[in-house]
Amino acid sequence: MKEDEMIICRCEEVSYEELKTTAAKYKCSARELKLRTRAGMGYCGGRSCRTMVDKIAATSANDRNRTCVSLKYQPPIRPISFKNLGG
Amino acid sequence: MTRRILDHPILGKMEDNNYVSFTFNQKGYKGLENESLAAALLANGIRTLRHHEESGSPRGIYCNIGHCYECRVSVDGQQGIRACLTPVKEGMTVESDGQLPSSKRR
Amino acid sequence: MDNAIIIGAGPAGLTAAVTCAEKGLDVVVIDEYMRAGGRLLGQLYEEPNGNWWNGIKESTKLYKKAVDLGVNFHLNTAVNNIENSNGIWTIYTERETFHTPSLLLATGAAEAPVPVPGWTLPGVMSVGAAQVMTNVHRVKPGERGVIIGVNVLSAAIAMELQLAGVEVASLTLPKTNQMTQDAGKPKEVLDSLLHVSHMAPSPFVRYGSKLMKNDFMKKLGVNFYPKKGVKMWDIPIQLRKAVTKIYGEDEVEGVTLATINADGEVVSGSEEHIPVDFVCIAGGLYPLAELAAVAGCPFYLVEELGGYVPLHNERMESPLEGLYVAGNITGIEGAKVAAAQGRTAGLSMAHHAGMDELDGEIKNSIEWTEQTRDNAHIQFHPEIETGRKKILQQWDAYQSNKKRSVVSNSRGGIT
Ligand code: FES
Repeated sequence: MKEDEMIICRCEEVSYEELKTTAAKYKCSARELKLRTRAGMGYCGGRSCRTMVDKIAATSANDRNRTCVSLKYQPPIRPISFKNLGG
Repeated sequence: MTRRILDHPILGKMEDNNYVSFTFNQKGYKGLENESLAAALLANGIRTLRHHEESGSPRGIYCNIGHCYECRVSVDGQQGIRACLTPVKEGMTVESDGQLPSSKRR
Repeated sequence: MDNAIIIGAGPAGLTAAVTCAEKGLDVVVIDEYMRAGGRLLGQLYEEPNGNWWNGIKESTKLYKKAVDLGVNFHLNTAVNNIENSNGIWTIYTERETFHTPSLLLATGAAEAPVPVPGWTLPGVMSVGAAQVMTNVHRVKPGERGVIIGVNVLSAAIAMELQLAGVEVASLTLPKTNQMTQDAGKPKEVLDSLLHVSHMAPSPFVRYGSKLMKNDFMKKLGVNFYPKKGVKMWDIPIQLRKAVTKIYGEDEVEGVTLATINADGEVVSGSEEHIPVDFVCIAGGLYPLAELAAVAGCPFYLVEELGGYVPLHNERMESPLEGLYVAGNITGIEGAKVAAAQGRTAGLSMAHHAGMDELDGEIKNSIEWTEQTRDNAHIQFHPEIETGRKKILQQWDAYQSNKKRSVVSNSRGGIT
């Protein structure tokens, strides 16, 4: 396996290449990169790949004002089984 | 050969010896009561806990403390249970979550 | 309704629970793990005075103390969401819903990975996972493994594996790329290790740290760094090697190890296969702050603290009424500092619950935290104090701008 084929987001199986290409094309924020590739949108909520996706985005995006943010997390932060949702 | 660390130079001898029986993918195994399912399975030499839902690639524990959700199994019919956080009990029925490797692969 | 709820039963959460209970509060502690102690459970190292720091013993001690004081534990319980309305926090878990005016987030840290081709294979795990398997469950993660990523945490865990009779074939670097960055560059890694050389038992590293004071010498050190690496506790530390691939059919069978130059580039043709049955990934820790984010707490990126941390002051208060933070969620430090912060948070919560005359105790507890930090045996980041100062400055700025800046805080772009 080549380095480009390496998986970054384990849950959604998003590769390094896909993330690099998308980041280079859209020069987007980490948030947009996640929405475009689905990296970090899987079962674990991005806990495993967040730091890596942030770094890939930071390399190509012109992210100003990086120190103060409101991290956008959607509850639930743990997946809820359908049984519990029902009630 | 056991994978358990029965004697440890600092932590001493292992005191628990309350073994219980459970099944994983229809095969019987023994584990220590209340140790994590992930630990009990690894002690039995089992690393693959599930297969990825789309690609079918094999997965095992990654974080071992509940963060990564890679260790999802079904316990007594309930899916999506993290093996690293679930204490083993007598008579537990455990199955791999995800796609069987035979149906689609790589 | 409970007087105080604490999410996370690690050293910070447990100490806060004990403190609150001693002040007469009804306390509930929630943790998704099956045992109380958090990351403290796995810790095992020899202190400079020759005593062993045994995380299981320390955790049990704290847990028993809390139980004796009447603290109510809900282990094996994951929190999904928290919400505030009219000064009351609601905590949603898989099973029950809890309510409290005073909520402490002591959720600790998560591990940041260094990705390597093949790292989804069963048998590849975070270095913390191997630590818990070995020291807490007493099950070997494998017979022979490789640790990818050389830092304080991975060096300590390598030693723990060795102690338990698990062979560590190599403690080595990841291949350098956009994500691994400095962690894949021998010179940078050596540099960061020099900061902790006082704890290194290997005469080479200790001697080396005096020898390599300036950059030029460091470069030399890496260039002449023996190809085979140096041994620490009999474990080869190979700063001039990197794992380019983890291979195996259905689980780990081995790694491909290549020689790298001082800047981390692979020397082609140098690859060799090392058979192993497990691999540990060691990218360091970052604060696990999801719940603070869900609650709407402002965040700051402070590299010295390990990543994004929720805004807080020395009393462990967040800017949100009745919301407190303590331990690694506020920055990556050792268990003793986390416990000291937990005590401060507990006192602040008791104060919030209406207990008077705690200001003196809170002040002492803050001082104690600083002393503990100064005396820390293991420091994860050499600039930790700079990081702490940064966040306190942000707190002051936030407080003085509070009225004007409501808008700017909702403007962040990073998820
Ligand atoms: S191994 Fe990560 S959640 Fe169980």
